[in-house]
This record gives sequence, structure tokens and C-alpha cells, in this order.
Amino acid sequence: MTVTRQYTLPYCNLVLEGIEASVGDPYSPMTVLMNAECQFPGVTETTLAGGREFLDSLVAAVSAYGQHRLSGIPRPTSDSQPLVDLQPGERDLHHLIVRQQPSTQPTVDTEAQVPLVMPLTTVQFYDLMEAVDQLLADSLTLPDLKAQFQAIPRRMVKPAEPIAQRSAPAVVGAVALVAAGLALFFVPPPTFEPSRLEDRTATESLTPEADSPEDVESWESAPVITDAVVLTTLRRQLRQRLQEDWSTDSAPSEDLVYRVVVSETGDVLGYKYENDAALEAVDSTPLAQIALPTPDPAAPRQAVAQFLARFTPDGEVEVDVWDSALAAEDDPPTAEDTAPEAATNGDLDTLTNKITDGDRIRTLNQALRVQLSEADLPSTRADLIYQVRLDSRGNVVGYEAVNTDALLLAKDTPLPDLVTARPASDDQADFRVVFTSRGVIEVSPWDGWPQ
Amino acid sequence: MPVDSPPKSSVPLILELLPTPELPSQECPRRARTQIDLLLLAIEALDLGGSEAMLTGAQELGLEPVLKGRVNLWLLRSTNPMRRYSQRRPMSLEEAKAMVAIIGNLARRLTVLMRQLLTGYQQLRDRGLSLDHHLRLADYLQRFRTHFRARMNPRRAGVIAYSSDERLDELAISLLEQLLLCSGILGTQRLWNSLFDGEVV
Repeated sequence: MTVTRQYTLPYCNLVLEGIEASVGDPYSPMTVLMNAECQFPGVTETTLAGGREFLDSLVAAVSAYGQHRLSGIPRPTSDSQPLVDLQPGERDLHHLIVRQQPSTQPTVDTEAQVPLVMPLTTVQFYDLMEAVDQLLADSLTLPDLKAQFQAIPRRMVKPAEPIAQRSAPAVVGAVALVAAGLALFFVPPPTFEPSRLEDRTATESLTPEADSPEDVESWESAPVITDAVVLTTLRRQLRQRLQEDWSTDSAPSEDLVYRVVVSETGDVLGYKYENDAALEAVDSTPLAQIALPTPDPAAPRQAVAQFLARFTPDGEVEVDVWDSALAAEDDPPTAEDTAPEAATNGDLDTLTNKITDGDRIRTLNQALRVQLSEADLPSTRADLIYQVRLDSRGNVVGYEAVNTDALLLAKDTPLPDLVTARPASDDQADFRVVFTSRGVIEVSPWDGWPQ
Repeated sequence: MPVDSPPKSSVPLILELLPTPELPSQECPRRARTQIDLLLLAIEALDLGGSEAMLTGAQELGLEPVLKGRVNLWLLRSTNPMRRYSQRRPMSLEEAKAMVAIIGNLARRLTVLMRQLLTGYQQLRDRGLSLDHHLRLADYLQRFRTHFRARMNPRRAGVIAYSSDERLDELAISLLEQLLLCSGILGTQRLWNSLFDGEVV
């Protein structure tokens, strides 16, 4: 028995006539299609009609075109011309293209037939697609006709730009290279002129001479720091800075000697090489980095000290006072290296057995204070700070200067006399002793007062 | 096939209709994330209560296991690389399915309005009139432009392309067409598959 299925939308009627599977059963699906008609009321009088081949082609075209509209990515075109096709047209229209069916029209040359083109608006196309979708979703009509959605694989997608456009930058680059090559072909190769090379090295060696000597000589007229303590402090600071910043992997083959001008605050104001090796290797030393930019010549002159810095091939930095008269006054070897070191018994080792008893620490602190105040106090302009180590019986085991002034004036303090050679007990404690500039002695436990 | 009571399952029923595509990585591709967010933006421009409807739509579809609340929805939409506060977190395919289901659901409710707007647009174009002549359409375009400019990062190359009103109107119209196409009975599935055009292995 023939049954009819109709899918009606405002702009599209899809009517299918066919035969159901079992006669008399209202829920029996239509399995055989006899005729399919597609009308577009309000759009065109033309009725599209055909068999299963037409319907399959219509469904495939609508699905493919709908997916293209949604994703914006064009489908790869197949070589065979489908019966029904959809192509985007001008002014947001969608062209439904229907070719005449070869079976009904026995023409040999199908290519010559003029296809029927129907422009549809978006809403009209939507109705066509919805009619097709309702058919696909209807399990009572042609159950073998299923929706087949398939995303386009990556390899099938054509790149957005044609190959001519994509290769354009590469072609332009190649052409530019050839042009540049041709142009440079006519330029004569430079000839080697030894005299020119010498000229250049001469100018190069002049450049550092041009600015750095000025740096130093402009300070010749500046007031000179003569205070031995300040000089020693500055000297130690400078030596420490240079040694820290100097990367010894660029050790020179001979001594690099520089004259360095240092301000009272320890800033390096200028420097000048004293031998040729020093001039060549100036970039390997940290002097260029730590030197301050040349100050305004009109600025008030500050007191400066001049030093001789020597970078040895062993990777050591030696710093001496430039003016030998001041150096004698300063007397660095005795003041710094020999005398205090002998008196302090060298550096204090880290304490292993600390006295932890709070009362004991307080008693020791008090005893040390009394011991120190009995002796003559040094006259000092700055505070002298020492770390003093006592054993549990109150014997001074050793001491160490904390600041530079303390190091220089250690001999004047009572501390060297207090150090005993008696065997010390195992548990010891450190104290902080300060001889202030006002003549006061401050003694406190090194690790702070016990709780 | 109408179903009266959806079965209680860990995966919401509607998501089972959407097949998992064979992608090189199990994350939602960049173009899909952008498209999902732009379609939702168009829905908001069409429907004043659009953002609330997204949440209630998620509840009606039983998508709470995948989309937990307003903040999560905002975070997911912010995976659109065009966004001003674009999130670097990925969008999983399950989350993308839920978003697509919501879009299809909301688009279905707006079918009539979208048909009116597109029909009006076609008439204005045929007569060569500017888009201001259709009050409701001009309203939609205006609102879309405002939403877009407020939320997208104007320094992104993808957003700079839409700096003029005309370009934004074109985008809004094409999104309107796409929304209409996914409002049909199989629209959700069509939209889902279209997201992976040129992405599947």
C-alpha cells in the first residue's frame, strides 16, 4: 500500500511517496521510496522531483552545505557532478543547483544540459535543511537513510591562501638575495693594507689614555687623606672590593699595576694604568665597573686617597698606599698583619661546647667587665669592638677584632695581657666587648643575654 | 523520539548524541572555542536574559555534572583566545559538548525571532537600505557590538579585524545565520560536527 510522508515548513515542502514494510500496521516504516517531491512555496513554482538517487543527493548536498555554512570551511569538491548541489551565491543567497536526471532524459551528453539553479535566502535554505533533518530523524520513513555527519579531515582542507601567495615571501627573499649578490659583485674586494692596520691600533691605544689619566690627574690638587686609620680602612676596603669583583680566570701573564683614587667614603673616583700590561688588560679588571663616573669639575673638592693596586698573575690583588711618606706613617705590615694577628691568637674557631647556663654567663660577663675596667683604657675616636672568648673559669682564651679600628688599636687595650696560656676548659662562651670613644666599656654575651 | 524522563546516568543523555571526534589531542581546538563563545555572545545580544537562560538551560538539560555554575561557565567561555581575560586552561571535549547542547537548546527557542531578523535583513539588502531601518535588527546589531567590544581584547589580531562597525555587523549577521542553522532538530549535531572541520585526523 502506498503511503505518503510530508515534511512541511514555511518555505519548503518535502513529500515522499513509498511503500511500507508491512500492510495494515500504522507503525510500519516506509522502506521503499517511489517518488520524492520538493516544493518551495512562495519561492518558485518549480517542483523538484525524483527517485531515491535524487533524494540521496539532496540529503548529501544539504548536509555538506549546512556544515560548510556553520564552520566556514569549504568542502573538498569531488570530480563527479552530483545531481543536487548547493553553492554560495551573491548577496548572501544560496544556490540550489539541480541537474537533470540522466535516466528520465535519455541524452548522451549530460554535461551539455543546463542545470536548474534556484537562489534561496538563508531562511529558505534553513527550511530545506530542516525538512531534510526531520526526514533523517524520522525513524518511520526510510530507516536506512541516516544522518551522516563527518568533519573534514585536516589533510583535506585547502590552505586559506593559494600557493602563489604563500610562496610570495620566499620568492621575494630569493630575488632580493640575487639582486644583492649582483650588486656586490661589482664592488672590488678590500685589499689588505698593513699600514692602515697599524694606524688603527695606534688610535685604539690612545683612546683609554685620553680619559683615564684625566681622571687621576684632576685629583692631584684635591686634599689628601693622611689619617693612617682611614687610609688603612680604605685600603682594606679597596683590596676586598677588587679581589671580590676580579674574575681570576682571566689571570694576567704579568703584574697589572694601577694608580687608584679613592674618596673618603670608599668610592673609586679614578684610576690610571702604570704599566703597559695594565693598559691592555684594563677591561679584565673590575676597576672600570666600580669606578664612579667623572664628577662635575665644578663640584667641591673632596679629600681623596691614592693607592697602588697590583693584580698579580697568581690571582691576588695587592693594594698599597701611593704616597710612600704616608705609607711609612701608616705602617701597614705591623699594624695590620703581624701585631694584631699574633695577639689575637689568630681567628677564633667556631665554638663547639658553648656554655648554656644563663647564671654562669652572667657571672662571666660581670667578671670580664671588672677585669677590663681595672686596666688602662685606650684613647680612641671610634668604638673598638672585640669578640672575646672565655672559658668556664673566666680565663680569656682569645679575642678577635670586629672592626678595623679595633684591629689597629688592639695593642693599646688590656686584652693582649689578659690572654692566658693556661689550658682552657672545654666549655667556653663568647662576649662582645666595646671600648667606646667616651671611655666606657660595654660587655655583653655574644649571642645575647640568656633568657 | 520523545523521552519523558531522562535516565540518571553519569553522562547526560544529550551528550551521548555527540560523538567524540578523533582529534590529535583531547582538547577542544582553538577555532571551536572561539566559535562557541561567539555564538553565545550572539544569543546574549538576541535575548536580554540570555546569560541566565544559559544557566537554566544547563540545569534543564541535566548538564550540571559538566558545567558547575556561573563561574565555571564564565571560565569556559573565557577559553576563547579573543577574550580580554582569556583563560589559558583548556576546554575538554565533554565541556564543549555541554556548551554546544546549550547553544542548540537556546537557538531553538529563538528560531522565530531569528527568522524575522534574517528575513528583514534580506529585504533591506534587496532594497539597498541600511540596516538601521529594521528596528529589531538594529537593536541586535547594536547590542552585539557593545558586548563584543566590552569583552574582547582589542589588541588581539583576531579582534582588530573587527574594529569597524561594518565588520562587526557582518560578523553578527553570519553568527545569526549559524545560530538559525543549529536551531533545527539535528542542529546541535550539525554544529558539533562543524566545529571540527579541518581538525580531525
